[in-house]
This record gives sequence, structure tokens and C-alpha cells, in this order.
Amino acid sequence: MSQFSNPSLRELNNANGNNELNVIIDTFIAKLKRKQIVGSYAIALETLQLLKRFTSAARWTHVTELITQLRALGLQLERAQPTAFTCGNIIRRLLGVLRDEMEEEAQEIANENGMNDNNNGNNSSTSEPLISSMFNLLQKPEEVQTVTKLLSSRNKKTKTDFRQIAIQGIKDLIDEITNIDDGIQQIAIDLIHDHELLLTPTPESKTVLKFLIRARERAHRTFTVLVTEGFPNNTDSAHEFAKKLAQHDIETIIIPDSAVFALMSRVGKVIIGTKAVFVNGGSIASSSGVSTVCECAREFKTPVFAVAGLYKLSPLYPFNIEKSVEFGGSHEVLPRMDPDYRLDAVNKTTAYVPPENIDIYITNIGGFAPSFIYRIAWDNYKQVDVHLDNKSPLEKSVKA
Amino acid sequence: MAGKKNKGNKNDNSNGSKKQEVDVEDRLQAVVLTDSFETRFMPLTAVKPRCLLPLANVPLIEYTLEFLAKAGVSEVYLICSSHANLVDEYIENSKWSLPWSPFKVVTIMSPEARSVGDVMRDLDNRGMITGDFILISGDVVTNVDFNKMLEFHRKMHAQDKDHIATMCLSKASQYYKTRTYEPAAFILEKGNNRCIYYQDLPLVSSKEKPSVEIDPELLEGVDEFVIRNDLIDCRIDICTPHVPPIFQENFDYQLLRTDFVKGVISSDILGKHIYAYITDEYAVRVESWQSYDTTSQDFVGRWCYPMVLESNMQDNQTYSYESGHIYKESNVVLAQSCKIGKCTAIGSNTRIGEGTIIENSIIGRNCQIGENIVIKDSYIWDNAVIGNNNIISHSIVASNAKLGSNVELEDGCIIGFNVILDDSVTIPKGTKISAKEIQSIELATFGVDSSDTIESSDTEYETQSSTATEHKFSSTTNLVGNKGVGFVYDSDFSDDEDDIVSGPYKVSNSLAHQIEDLYLSDASISSTKKRTKKKRTMSASSMYTDREDIGSESSSDEEEDFAVEGLATIERAVENNHDLDTAMLELNTLRMSMNVSYHEVRIATITALVRRVYHFIATQTLGPKDAVTKVFTQWGPLFKRQAFDEEEYVDLMNILMDTIVNENFERHDLILFVALNTLYDDDVLEEDAIYKWWDTISNDPKYDEIKNLTAKWVEWLRTADEESSSEEEDE
Repeated sequence: MSQFSNPSLRELNNANGNNELNVIIDTFIAKLKRKQIVGSYAIALETLQLLKRFTSAARWTHVTELITQLRALGLQLERAQPTAFTCGNIIRRLLGVLRDEMEEEAQEIANENGMNDNNNGNNSSTSEPLISSMFNLLQKPEEVQTVTKLLSSRNKKTKTDFRQIAIQGIKDLIDEITNIDDGIQQIAIDLIHDHELLLTPTPESKTVLKFLIRARERAHRTFTVLVTEGFPNNTDSAHEFAKKLAQHDIETIIIPDSAVFALMSRVGKVIIGTKAVFVNGGSIASSSGVSTVCECAREFKTPVFAVAGLYKLSPLYPFNIEKSVEFGGSHEVLPRMDPDYRLDAVNKTTAYVPPENIDIYITNIGGFAPSFIYRIAWDNYKQVDVHLDNKSPLEKSVKA
Repeated sequence: MAGKKNKGNKNDNSNGSKKQEVDVEDRLQAVVLTDSFETRFMPLTAVKPRCLLPLANVPLIEYTLEFLAKAGVSEVYLICSSHANLVDEYIENSKWSLPWSPFKVVTIMSPEARSVGDVMRDLDNRGMITGDFILISGDVVTNVDFNKMLEFHRKMHAQDKDHIATMCLSKASQYYKTRTYEPAAFILEKGNNRCIYYQDLPLVSSKEKPSVEIDPELLEGVDEFVIRNDLIDCRIDICTPHVPPIFQENFDYQLLRTDFVKGVISSDILGKHIYAYITDEYAVRVESWQSYDTTSQDFVGRWCYPMVLESNMQDNQTYSYESGHIYKESNVVLAQSCKIGKCTAIGSNTRIGEGTIIENSIIGRNCQIGENIVIKDSYIWDNAVIGNNNIISHSIVASNAKLGSNVELEDGCIIGFNVILDDSVTIPKGTKISAKEIQSIELATFGVDSSDTIESSDTEYETQSSTATEHKFSSTTNLVGNKGVGFVYDSDFSDDEDDIVSGPYKVSNSLAHQIEDLYLSDASISSTKKRTKKKRTMSASSMYTDREDIGSESSSDEEEDFAVEGLATIERAVENNHDLDTAMLELNTLRMSMNVSYHEVRIATITALVRRVYHFIATQTLGPKDAVTKVFTQWGPLFKRQAFDEEEYVDLMNILMDTIVNENFERHDLILFVALNTLYDDDVLEEDAIYKWWDTISNDPKYDEIKNLTAKWVEWLRTADEESSSEEEDE
């Protein structure tokens, strides 16, 4: 697939004389492949910077072309690092913004033409997602309608400046991501009580760190934090994390990973950071021990709080858990050995936590049960854009 | 091409505003040696250069370039000598010459280079090096964090003005037996890792006992030092611009480690220092079939993370990872009943038939793999066709090879490009088969030190093959079957070509570890036999090699040639009154081109000088004493560049005595005495060497007469020595 889709974007850019764009994209992809950009936060911001340049430099005549190009770009980025879901999320968010705008415009045109038939009434539901999802269940798929509408409006000149909208959308996203912690921290105060014992198995999460510090500084809560050691991949960050907490006068204890079960009976809450949250409410955590910790917490009926920025929400469903988990290097686990006597080592660097092991997601727009996550996902993403590699019916029919 | 590249650069710069700000001096350059100057991957390297052979379905050079890209290098010079056009073509079509490549790639054709030394001299002549640069060979697989290494380099550079290079050495764990094909001991100063001495070691499998000899002078001013042989030398060096000129000055330097590193650090004239950066990270060179095997397995087993297969280094790759270290590209067709075991990679468009079992193997693209086959620990390259019911264990099947049905490849087989094997053949252990008979010309393209060696060995090979052609041909036909196409590549012979590098520490070069022991006895025999033909030019061991030569009565043609040529050279120099440097230069060039040891050089020099003396006396221009003093005062310093340690000086004096006896002087005792005295006065000979020589002098009656005066002289020296020392004590 990539053999066909990648060059198409590149050729397109070449044809447009947009060599510069190719340079930016390929440099970014190379960086992703070499793991020179790590952490979902950094990847999200870098992706947005790339998108900013892309949208301002890309050439298109109709907004559908821009969408096609963005999808191709998104596919390329996803392929570069399939376990970094952030790139795809960001691009899908932007696509969602554009598609919303298209809808609006189409509606306006329809209104102007005085076509007030049933169709229109249904379509207005998109702006009210709460009703739409229930009613749309028995409806024709959304995109087909869009297609018909688009086809009718295709030849007309668009009034809206989509480039402006896209760039505004990107700016909004940047704002949202950089301020994500504030939103989450607001909730922190209500959740953490005095003299509580907390456990976190994800010391590399900055959101968790800020969450705890906020609870301490704003609400003057005194509590104790247990930090799992996270051997072998996260030991350094666990130490760093503990030091930072200690600087803020929070009692912090680093415990070995194996002690989690023994201590769980005393723990009041488990707080985990996430790398990605899927529509089913499951999430990918950035340390391989997290899934066991959550399993353990369920055994003891200890509540598990997952903190996640909205941009980590992914519209994908984890059909193949193995493919969504990242595997690191074997050298962290075992010393290098002679091929004759070699042992094989598997070093997962991320873990999948199933939805039933998480009690609540704390996002920058509020706290949600895992079973509700899909709703938030469809508020922000469009069904059409879930699979970037499928040629969507829209494109097919437009081409036809 | 050039235009395209320039355009790319311009774009690059306009985007990366950082890059523009960087000083020209901070621009990092890298020199990649695409040629290994070895023939260990024969017969496959007859078709493709080593750096383009696929490791885990990715050409080897990609790993090196990927490392450089990650290191933030801005200019890469690829030095191509053998198969230069192939390398050039590959690079031109690769992503590295696209405008968004992270660095500028320049291929430099250097077809006449035969060693690392030649390349460095060529670099110096071209004057491209502007600042510190990375010297790396094109077969390195590593995940070393280069920035840390660079930081270490800069720190050391700031501390020590004489620091000229940093070597990257990777620490092998105790569980890692096969460290490298070229084992070596590094003697490092504790604390700052300055390399004090370097010495090659014999392989673990060879019978020789490893020993390290260090000149005590080198240890002066060193508080504590460590001797380490647990370091894998991965040939990643950061060199300062001073390095190429050193190669230029010492034009006999061939090898990077044995000649250059050892030469620089043990020379007090240069006074330069080399430091070692020791890391725990993964770094190896793919230098032999064994390390190819190990590295492939390591790579698939994710020991080189974050450099892993599913990061899809090349644009058109689509690998994805499954647990148990299985990597599959898209469009792989697997039959329902086939079993894919752990540590396996399969390229796209490959079909695998029913009942086939694959484990620990790497399968290329577009391979047709039949039914009920067992493939274990093997490497099948692109477009190979493998018939039903085969058993392939621990072997390599190169691109476009075709294997019939019921074929069995035993441990360590290498099936070359385009080889066709008929049905129901069994290839015995360690066989290497190539589609074409390897011609002598092709052999010559692979870096062997001196052209003379190649010629001589080639002629030998040709005669050998012509006599054995019929026999060989029939046996080959049997091996590949009636419909098969392929010739057995004589691996023993190929190994001998490697002697220049591995010296007497020879080991059979085969994929199979197990075979190593099997071949061991046989290999050591052939290596002693071969040593007479190929003399090592290392100064420290030349004496050792010399004796071997004298012992084994075979004086080959080239030595005789040298005796004549060398003599003529010196005589010419003496007659025309050349200056000393010119004479040395000529002699050294001659020595290297003929590949003879210093022993022959000394013989030639002494013979020439003694004849000159004889000429003076015979023509009665000068008295015996004056003649000797004149000649030896003027030309004695030549020996300083021909003998380097005590043993060699002893050898020198023995030669001198022999020559004078043979020359039939009237008063040869006087001649010898004066000659020695002159050399002693000019500080060519050291007292210790003289004593040693005197103590070990032969008691042959023909020398009795000549020793008279010298005996007194030595006696005098000794007393003088004692007196002076006692005087010192008095004071």
C-alpha cells in the first residue's frame, strides 16, 4: 500500500514544485523512524508544526484535495512509527475540523437554495452530536450523504477560506495541547485526599507529575506517593520523578516492581499516565509493568485513575493488541551473549491496559468512565478518517 | 547530478536555520571506507561489494549511513575502490542522494587504493578534510550514541593538545565469546583512557599463546594502566585533521590499527596521543561470515535497538513486528500449515509452501519457498527459489539462486548469486559455490597489500587450477547435479589471501562455528607454509618472520630480485652522492613494492656499503680505516630506519660480519672494528645491542680471525662502561 500512496503524495508535491515540502516531511519521518522524537507530547507538537507548514505550502483547488493530501500525509506518519498514535490523532483532529466546516458550508448553500427537505434536518444533527449518534444508527452512512452533497457543491466556488480554517484549527490544537495540564490539574484537587497513599507505575508521565504537585501546592494535601521502579526501561525516570516530588515536599517512596501486589492493599488510588487511549476505553501506558499493576489494583478493588490529554484519544480500536504495543531492545534485559548460547529476550516498553481495569479517565475536559470514551472520540473525529489507508468512499466517488 | 545536489542543499539550509548558523569548523565530515580490502566474503564479493550485501534484507552500507545520519553528520565521503561503480550507482539511487537527505553524499573513486593507508593518503592529497571527521568502515552495525562519543573527543581534545584521534570500542560481556575476527589487546591509561599500546592477539582458536610486549618507555609517567582484550573494535574513529598527514609522512602505514595506531602511540617523535571511548552500546563490524551470522541474529533479536527492522530504514520497506521476534513485510503469502518460528524476518512477495518450517532465519523478497522444507539459522536472499523437501541449515543462499527438490545444505554452505542446484544433491559442510569460476583478475580487485603477492599467488592458483581442472570440474558437476550451474570456490585458498590481515593467526573463514575446530589443524599447517611467501611488514615481528624464512630454505624469486635491485639502488645512491632521505625513500619504496622484510634490506645495504669500502681500498684512494670511516659515517644512519630493536641490530651486526668475511679484505678484522666503532660513535649502535651480539656470536672457525680486534674493542667498551658507571656512583 505504502508503495503506492507514499510516492503519490511525493509526486504530487514534486509536480507542484513543492520540493521544500517533501524535505520537511521526509526529515520528520526520518526523525520518527530513528526515534529522535520521543514522547507523545513532543511528537504532537512537532506534528502540528509540520502540519502548519504543510497547510500553508500545499496547493489545492478544492478542500477535498487538501483532505486527500492530509490523509496521505497521515498515513505516511503512521507508517513511520505505528506505535506512536499521536501523529494520526492530530491529523484526524484537523481533518475533523475541516469536514465540520465543509458540512456547515454545504448546509448554508442548501439553505440558500431553499432546499428544506428531510435530508437537511438529519444533517443538522452533526452539530448536535449527542442526538446524532443515536439517530444515525439506522441511517445511511454519513459520508455517502456528504458525497452527494459535495458532488452537488463541488463545482461551486467555496466561500470559506479553508486554508485559514485549517491554520486556525492547528493553532487551536497547539493551544489545547500546551495548556492540557491546567485542565487536568483542576480536577486533581478534588480527587486526592489528605493522608492518602497513592501509587503510580508511570513515572515518566509529566501529566502525572504536575497532577500530584498541583494537589500538594494548591490544596495543601499531605499524601504519600509510591513509585514503581520500572526496571529496566524506566528506572532512571523513576528516580528523577521521585526527586522532583520530594523537592515539592511530597513523601515519595520508590518500590520494586515485584512489591506492588504486597503493597496494593494499603494503596488508596493508582494513578497512571497514558500514551494513547482507544475507543473501547483501553489505553496504552508507557511502561510495561502498568498492566500488571492495574490488574493487581482490580484484585484489591483499588480505584485506577488514568490521566490523559484529549490529544491522546485515538479513534482506533485495539483489535491486535500485539501490534499496538511497542517492543524495545533486548540489551536492557540481558547482557549480550554468544549466538551459540543465546537466550531470546522480549522487552515490551509499553503495555495495554484493558478498559475494565481502569475506573476513570481524567482528561482536560473532565473525567469520564472508560465506557464513555467512544463518545468523546466521535465528538472529535470523523468515522471516515479512522482508517487513513482505505480509500474513503468520498474520494472514490469524487474520482468517478 | 551536481545541480540536483546543490539544489537540495540550498533547500536544506533554508529549512534548517540551525545548520546555517553552525560554523564551518563545526561541520562534521565522515569518511566511509566502502572497501574492506579483504576477501573474506568471497565468492559473493566477486559479484557485489561487501557493503552492498544484505544483512536482514538491508544492504550493509545502510546501517553505517543510518548511524551517520543519526550522528548529525553533514558531509559524507564514500571511498570506493573495488566495485566502485556499483556502490556509486547504489548511492545515487538511494534516499541519501535525494534533496532531503540529512547529509551530502560524495562518492570518491579511488580504484588504486589497496589499504586504509592508501585511502588516507589520497584524502590528504585531495585536501577535503577541514575539521574533525569520522572514519568508519562501510560495514558497521551500531546504535552507539555518537554525541556522547563526540563530547568525550572534544573533552579530551581540550585537555590534551596532542590528542589526534578517538577510537570507539564496545565492551563485550563475559558471555560473548567471539569478539572479533581481529582480536587485539588495548593498553589504556586508567582514568583518561589514553591508549598507551596496541597489540594484535592470536585468535582464541589458534595454538599460539597470546602475549603482550610493552616497551617500558611507553609506560613512563603512567600511574596506572589497564590491559583489556574484552573490547570489540568497531572501527568508528573520530580523527582530527592531523591524521591524514601522518599517513602521508609514514607512507608504509597500511592498516589502521596495526600500523597507524601502534605506530603513532609508540613513536616518541610524533608525540601524539590516541584515546579510546569505551561504550556498552552495540557496535560491531560485519567482517566475516561468522560476524554476519551473529550480527544478523543480534539485529533480529533487537540487540541493536532502536535500530530495528520494523523501523523500516529504507523507504519501500513495510516490516511489522510480532512477538517472538518475527518480522513480516506486507504481501507475504504463508501456507496454512507452515510454521514460522522465532527470530525470523520475511520480505514482501515471498511465498512459503505447506508444511515448511522456518526458524532463526531471514528470508528476502520475492522468494519462492516450496513445501515441506526445513530452514534453520539460514539466510535466503532476494528472489531465491527453493524446491520442495529441502533441508537448509546454517547456510546462505544468495540472490537469484535456484535450488531443486530434495537438496540438503549442510552447516555453513554458501550458495552464490545465480547458482542453480539440481534435484537431490547434498552440499557438504562449509562449501562455497559461485556461479562463475572466480578468475584471477577478480581476485586482484580485492585489496591485497602488494601487487607482487597477487601475481605470485595468482600464478600459483592458475597452475593449480589448470592441473586440477578436470578433476575439479567433474567433482563440481557432481556437487551441483547434472543440470546445476556452479563452481566450488576453494575456501582454503581464499583464506590465505587474508593472511596479510590476520597474519599467522589464521582461522578458517566459514560461517559455521563448529567447523572452526574441524579445520583447525589443517589451517595451522597451511599458515606456516604460507608464511614464507608473505612477509609481514610489522617492524616488531619482522625478526620473528625472518628466522622462519632462513629456516625454510625456500628463497623465492622476489627476494633474489630484491637483492639485486636493492643493491643497485644503494650503489647508485652512494655513487651519485644522494642525500640520506632520498636513499631511504627509494629503498623503502622498493621494499614495499617487493614486499620483503627489513632483513633483506639490511643485507642489501651492508653489501653495497662494504663493496664501496672495498672499491676505495682497491683503487687505493683511501686507506682501509679512512675508507670505512668515510662510508659508514655518511651512510650509517640508513640503518636507523632499517632496524628497530635490539634483535634487529644483532642481526645487522651478524650480516656485517658475514659480508666482510665474504668480501675477502686483507685486514677484515680492522674493517669490522672500524665499521662497528663508527656506527657506535654515530649512535646507530647501542652498547646493549653490541654486548648482546657479542654474547651470542657464533663460534664458527671462519669468524675467529675477524673477531680479534673487535674482541678487544668490546672489552674496552665494557670497561669504559663500568668505569663511567662507577664514576657516576662515586659522584
